[in-house]
Amino acid sequence: MDFFGDEEEYNTNVLAIIQRNHELVPGALCPAASATSSPSPRRRHRRRRSISMAGAMDLPAKGGFSFDLCRRNAMLAEKGLKMPGFRKTGTTIVGLVFQDGVVLGADTRATEGPIVADKNCEKIHYMAPNIYCCGAGTAADTEAVTDMVSSQLQLHRYATGRESRVVTALTLLKSHLFSYQGHVSAALVLGGVDVTGPHLHTVYPHGSTDTLPFATMGSGSLAAMSVFESKYKEGLTREEGIQLVSDAICAGIFNDLGSGSNVDVCVITKGKTEYLRNHQLPNPRTYVSSKGYSFTKGQTEVLSTKITQLEPKVEVAEGDAMEE
Amino acid sequence: MGDSQYSFSLTTFSPSGKLVQIEHALTAVGSGQTSLGIKAANGVVIATEKKLPSILVDETSVQKIQTLTPNIGVVYSGMGPDFRVLVRKSRKQAQQYYRLYKETIPVTQLVRETAAVMQEFTQSGGVRPFGVSLLIAGYDDNGPQLYQVDPSGSYFSWKASAMGKNVSNAKTFLEKRYTEDMELDDAIHTTILTLKEGYEGQISANNIEIGIIRSDREFKVLSPSEIKDFLEEVE
Repeated sequence: MDFFGDEEEYNTNVLAIIQRNHELVPGALCPAASATSSPSPRRRHRRRRSISMAGAMDLPAKGGFSFDLCRRNAMLAEKGLKMPGFRKTGTTIVGLVFQDGVVLGADTRATEGPIVADKNCEKIHYMAPNIYCCGAGTAADTEAVTDMVSSQLQLHRYATGRESRVVTALTLLKSHLFSYQGHVSAALVLGGVDVTGPHLHTVYPHGSTDTLPFATMGSGSLAAMSVFESKYKEGLTREEGIQLVSDAICAGIFNDLGSGSNVDVCVITKGKTEYLRNHQLPNPRTYVSSKGYSFTKGQTEVLSTKITQLEPKVEVAEGDAMEE
Repeated sequence: MGDSQYSFSLTTFSPSGKLVQIEHALTAVGSGQTSLGIKAANGVVIATEKKLPSILVDETSVQKIQTLTPNIGVVYSGMGPDFRVLVRKSRKQAQQYYRLYKETIPVTQLVRETAAVMQEFTQSGGVRPFGVSLLIAGYDDNGPQLYQVDPSGSYFSWKASAMGKNVSNAKTFLEKRYTEDMELDDAIHTTILTLKEGYEGQISANNIEIGIIRSDREFKVLSPSEIKDFLEEVE
């Protein structure tokens, strides 16, 4: 009964905020509302109780994304409320198949709009001892989805007693992403070697996949793909493969604003995986003053001054101060 | 037995304060094949008899000792199918713990969660208790550990323990032979001798299973050839 009251209050508050911001007429706000004024939505809520209940409560019991508030969000966006942004990886990620296995590569810059949020983040995620996955898109989404599938693969390994296969990871990822209809913004390059051989796949946020001998994803994918298209050939050796991947990532780092900092490489072959974190550091901090930096007073120009009292000065009214 | 009219319903206490169904579950465990475990100074060993109902059964398809996480293993006495369900649940719980805390689950936590599952089945409608007792062996930051979990959901930490058919003889034998500073290899020999004590028939590398975990924290089930080596050392 409690949350029932809360939900009503909540909706009334939301509408009040929109009203204040946009000075709209109450009647126009809720197309679903009756002709009577908004302060009595009680009847409407009662009918919708079974659906709205879950939205107002804590996490739904089944887990997963709750679409209950999407209608409200759409209404708010329509009325002009700006949706909050999220941190994206604005990335260059690549993968290629060489004669003994696969090589994956990624840059290490994470961006939040125009700001570099992390200068050396890890975009190559562990899925299984023989399978790794590079992630582009929303950082939280790539982390969460790769962690989840990695966990599922571990349980599957225990149940079957066998090494995980790349197609298993692929299918788990694509079914998850498809069921969220593209709302999980994760674009992945998945590579590994299993009993059936070396495999390389790309996975798109809506759940489609491709199987390729070489692949690039992210904002720097065009720069990286141009390197691959001109220099890739079948049967590359390990050194050639690593060099080509590094060149492609560097192309992304230097020509795309969303990618930068260092090159991470991961080489997967039958029975052995090497994760070469920061394989190349083409963007070192070149000038660091050994004396340190000191900023003396007077170096910064003061444009204006405003003083706000934190403790309000209380004026004592007439009469004895001891009187109540 | 005045308790008999209370013995069919799990969720009803008998006048003597017992849940008779749990007693029956313990009886089921007590008629299962013997299993035992020993905690040494530098590791843990668990073992069980692997008597198959007929010589036609393919013994390579049966594995009674299972891995729950890379550093925790488990063996049972009682009903095999119940064991499989518990193993599946425990593995999932270990994964969920890792997803939540990004830390590999400590042995005590996994034991607690498994015990909680077993307890649930003693207090719900329409279910029966699990007919297994588990011996969970693990090695984590608190060193080597050995726990027994009963169908009621109670758990105990042991230095050495046995369960199943031959429990009293095995425990007496272990009490005599156990020393605090035992090394893992000695513990394995003691285990084999204890199993031999109660074994009807000839013990061999194919009709016992042994699982060990050393300070490298990797739980492994010994292969028949490795067991053979230990058997020869004991003889």
